[in-house]
Amino acid sequence: MALITLSVNSQEYSLDVEPETPLLWVLRDHLGLTGTRYSCGAGLCGACTVHVDGEAVRSCTWPVSEAAGRQVVTIEGLSPDGSHPVQQVWLAENVCQCGYCQPGQIMAAAALLARTPDPADDEIDAAMANNLCRCGTYPRIRRAIHRAAKGGGV
Amino acid sequence: MSAQPNAGLTRRDLSRRDFLKVSVAGGVGLTVAVSLAGCDTQPAPTAGPLPSSTAVPTPLASPTAADTPSPTATPEPAAWEPNIYLTVDPAGMVTIRAFRSEMGQGIRTAIAMIVAEELDAAWEQVRIVQVGAAPAYGDQVTGGSVSVSSHYERLRQAGAMARDVLVSAAAHTWDVDKAACRTEGGEVIHPDGEQRLAYGALVDVAAGLPLPSPGDVQVKDPADFRVIGTPRGLYDAPDMVTGRPLYTSDLSLPGMVHAVVARCPVFEGQAAGVDDAAARAVPGVRDVVPISSGIAVVADSTWAALRGRAALDITWNEGRNADLSSEATRLLLADLAPQPGSAGAGSMDAVYEIPYLAHATMEPMVCLADVREGRCEVWAPSQAPQAAKQQAMSASRLDTGEVVVHVPVMGGGFGRRHVPDFVAEAVEVSRAVGAPVRLIWTREDDLQHDRYHPISCTYIKATLDASGLPSAMPRPQPFPMAVGVPTGYWRSVEQFDQAFARESFLDEIAAAGGLDPVELRLSLLTGRGRAVVELAAQKAGWGTALPEGWGRGIAYWPTFGATHVAQVVDLSVAGDGTLRARRVVCAVDCGTVINPDTVVAQMEGGIVFGLTAALKARITVDNGRVQQSNFHDYPLLTMAETPQIEVYLVDSTERPSGVGEMGVPPVAPAVANAVFAATGKRVRHIPILAADLA
Repeated sequence: MALITLSVNSQEYSLDVEPETPLLWVLRDHLGLTGTRYSCGAGLCGACTVHVDGEAVRSCTWPVSEAAGRQVVTIEGLSPDGSHPVQQVWLAENVCQCGYCQPGQIMAAAALLARTPDPADDEIDAAMANNLCRCGTYPRIRRAIHRAAKGGGV
Repeated sequence: MSAQPNAGLTRRDLSRRDFLKVSVAGGVGLTVAVSLAGCDTQPAPTAGPLPSSTAVPTPLASPTAADTPSPTATPEPAAWEPNIYLTVDPAGMVTIRAFRSEMGQGIRTAIAMIVAEELDAAWEQVRIVQVGAAPAYGDQVTGGSVSVSSHYERLRQAGAMARDVLVSAAAHTWDVDKAACRTEGGEVIHPDGEQRLAYGALVDVAAGLPLPSPGDVQVKDPADFRVIGTPRGLYDAPDMVTGRPLYTSDLSLPGMVHAVVARCPVFEGQAAGVDDAAARAVPGVRDVVPISSGIAVVADSTWAALRGRAALDITWNEGRNADLSSEATRLLLADLAPQPGSAGAGSMDAVYEIPYLAHATMEPMVCLADVREGRCEVWAPSQAPQAAKQQAMSASRLDTGEVVVHVPVMGGGFGRRHVPDFVAEAVEVSRAVGAPVRLIWTREDDLQHDRYHPISCTYIKATLDASGLPSAMPRPQPFPMAVGVPTGYWRSVEQFDQAFARESFLDEIAAAGGLDPVELRLSLLTGRGRAVVELAAQKAGWGTALPEGWGRGIAYWPTFGATHVAQVVDLSVAGDGTLRARRVVCAVDCGTVINPDTVVAQMEGGIVFGLTAALKARITVDNGRVQQSNFHDYPLLTMAETPQIEVYLVDSTERPSGVGEMGVPPVAPAVANAVFAATGKRVRHIPILAADLA
């Protein structure tokens, strides 16, 4: 075990955890931030996507020790009240079905739009290719990202 | 965004059972309150037999009868409860009780829409609570895409009956003719057209009035619908996009521990011996518990439980399935079915194969169980709450009155969650350790211990007339097999296999006779089936040219004889056999549409689900072991692979008929038919891979 200092959603935490513990389980089990979801545990599906220093990363394969000293943002910290433009367009396009993967989809989309404000379809495909959705909400996710790029229009 | 009805939840007087805390390790001092009020309002435990699978809910009325418990553990103060489906409180908040399981198909929203329509409630004042396993609601199995169709009239009557009493209360208050009053947006409007009384202001008077028999109240003329038929986002969507705790995976209880189970990689195998010393040495591991399905590792955190499980040294008795092979089963089935070419002169026949398929819900199996002091409380993402309760009773050795089952929103279902094996596991572990337990399955657990769609071989034949047309619609003869492999319901069940066989076969008949596939289907179909084929063909531009290397295919299937769906697939096949779906046009007739947006979403989702099966993923078994373990070898369709999808709804006033599964069956045969159009190759199995076409 080791004492690790972590910044999550602009809040500082000191945690005594195994350094190789995946960030996912620290967020969920230790910090109670359950919006970041487990689905594959192997970096294959994107349900656990969070931002580390603004980049979308798979928290299920990201050791917590590597997040130390960096800014981690989860779905709970994307906006205090669901008002982030990406969350708003997700509602406007009725993207959600079961909804379980959507925090990861939203975090991936938010990172894409921060980097590429008006992405083309192939840029969306590339950025979102490994965010899986078994419900098949992909067409709406694509529409929502385009809508966000054009200013929302909620 | 308009104000969300969820906001009302925070006003509830939360009991211990509604209010679960997530403790934060390390003394950080942050406590996250998790309200389950929105999804877990529960009945008082009751005695008496569980309903049979064919039972219908008890009548709408008599909510106060001794044998019909109130489904709310903490009813609103002074809330008026005209029937088991809704309450109205003095503030005007309408609480509608969802009694079928939500897995993304939108049933919670649909139930509320139907009740709100007849009640003339203001949608902003509607909130939804989920009832768990509760006898008052009869058989609560969520399957077969029948939740709306089997409850449509009942829910309309529930809303209409409540509205009728509220109108009576207003007429009584104003001393006017009831028949001259109207309702709109949660208010009764005076015959003068000016004065209004909000429903909330009428509940005290309404509570003193007799309840009409549901059959005696008039439901609306569909022409007057204001809610039914208008698109609504899912009620839970605001919680979904903000990551608020909604799923069983997100719920915690004070003192809760985490568990995972090591199961024999061979179906039905058992642990013969365990060395758990290394597992117990993992920091955070509390206990190692043998249970019915394997060896459970209990820990302070999920990660510690996973590490502990990895450190177990288990000797398995693999049992009778140790040599199981899905390829051997496939060959056996091919021998069992009639051999193609045996149909005789003037006939055609063929055999089509479907592999084992996994559900792969994004939220793997999970259950939160608390077995203490002669009481068992379970949070189970179950499509069969009564079966979950039976499992919990059996595993806890407690009676029906001591066991409570809550049903949180599920991260996908697709039929997997009919089987409550995960409930028994969590209850066994909680009983053993005397603490609340959240037991999760990993993705590997999920893919290797699923209840798979069965492998099958389907034979089909047709007698042809002189012009090459079949004398009647050919009927598939399926030969499914489940030797040693646990199987279960998978979105659209046997309809999937039958559609693949018949709709592929129709195109083979068309090709042999030089007939157009759409014309052939139109010659065999009448009514609603014919109409969706015509609509899909027209919208897809059937007969128009496609780029070189592309093909177009059609398929039609009336899933469960209820909802008619036709799909046209355009796809491209590259020189190396790489196949890409480009466009899918879908026409659907599901009768009266409750939520048009949900119908479109379910068709889109069904198409993506069907494309994963048609083009990508299958389960194979060798040496008794499932060979796939995660999304790298059970690959789901990705966004980049998702075609343009267009969905067209047939305007209809027929009874609503279900949409959850109906988008799936036509996809695979439409793909196979498009592959044939593109390449001239007929592929009679799925998934259709590049290797089949190169």
